[in-house]
Amino acid sequence: MSSANLTFIEEIVLLALDDETGALLPMPPLAFRYALAGAAICDLALLNRIDTDPDKLVVLSKEPTGDPLLDEVLTAILSVGSTLRVSGWLNVLSEISKNLEAAALDRLVARGILRREEKKILWVFGVRRYPTVDNQERTEVRTRLANLILGDDLPDPRDAILISLLCASHLADKIFAGREFKMRSERMATLAKMDLVGREVAGIIDVVTRTLNASLPIGM
Amino acid sequence: MDITESIQNSATVLGLAGRLDGLTSGTLEQKVDALVAGGAKRIVFDCGQLLYVSSAGLRVFLSSAKKLKTAGGSAAFAALTPAVREVFELSGFTTMLEIHPNAAAATAAKP
Repeated sequence: MSSANLTFIEEIVLLALDDETGALLPMPPLAFRYALAGAAICDLALLNRIDTDPDKLVVLSKEPTGDPLLDEVLTAILSVGSTLRVSGWLNVLSEISKNLEAAALDRLVARGILRREEKKILWVFGVRRYPTVDNQERTEVRTRLANLILGDDLPDPRDAILISLLCASHLADKIFAGREFKMRSERMATLAKMDLVGREVAGIIDVVTRTLNASLPIGM
Repeated sequence: MDITESIQNSATVLGLAGRLDGLTSGTLEQKVDALVAGGAKRIVFDCGQLLYVSSAGLRVFLSSAKKLKTAGGSAAFAALTPAVREVFELSGFTTMLEIHPNAAAATAAKP
């Protein structure tokens, strides 16, 4: 699992939120859904429930993980009963990404990392925000990943997965936005490709973005 | 997957044969952990008989290289079969890890 025993799903949700407003950082269309789907696959992979290669995802064990959220994902995979490529599974699991996001937010609130806030926009429209209560977790992971990007050390597999998912969803652009990171774009690209699931998430988001751009009227 | 162990030029050479995947990667990880705990400073993974590497296998390779580096040592990968080289290239491992054409070259290299 991740620092302080956060799952990848929880870490991606935490890193996707603005520190102060608690709103989601801007991302390409559907990027967050696919990033969460990818995070779920990676969580199961590190628990040795599934394994992947460029051609397929295989179930190694049907044994429950003990984590209700990950067990829901494992059940979803088992219920399909087909051999799909990782990209296919990302599409399947993106359909339950709202559940993943909601459960992750509940957990982060329960841990005291975030708080839930109901706000009104224009006094009428209700929106929910998740401002930070305890920024230690987020700061720790950002610092660790920043050091990895700015340095030349080998990543451990967990950090390789995180960076890959953050780059794929374009969250890395927002989180590591300083000039010093822009000068390390090649290093970021190298780290981003180290995880297969992250590469597949990036591929899908790229296709979605290009498809949507192609469907826009000329001049937009 | 079968793992053979030998010492060449003060390096521990682990010969890997078969498939390195989620079912077998744990065994390799335990082997590497034991070697590092025992003071091994140079491990060469001879992949000449390795037919297949999954994501789980790649994670063990990466974590092994990192553990050795943290312990003041180094890891090298030798004799990549076409299947292994393909996933190494897809994952950028060929730019991040030390690769040699064969175990002899890997053990002779000064990291």
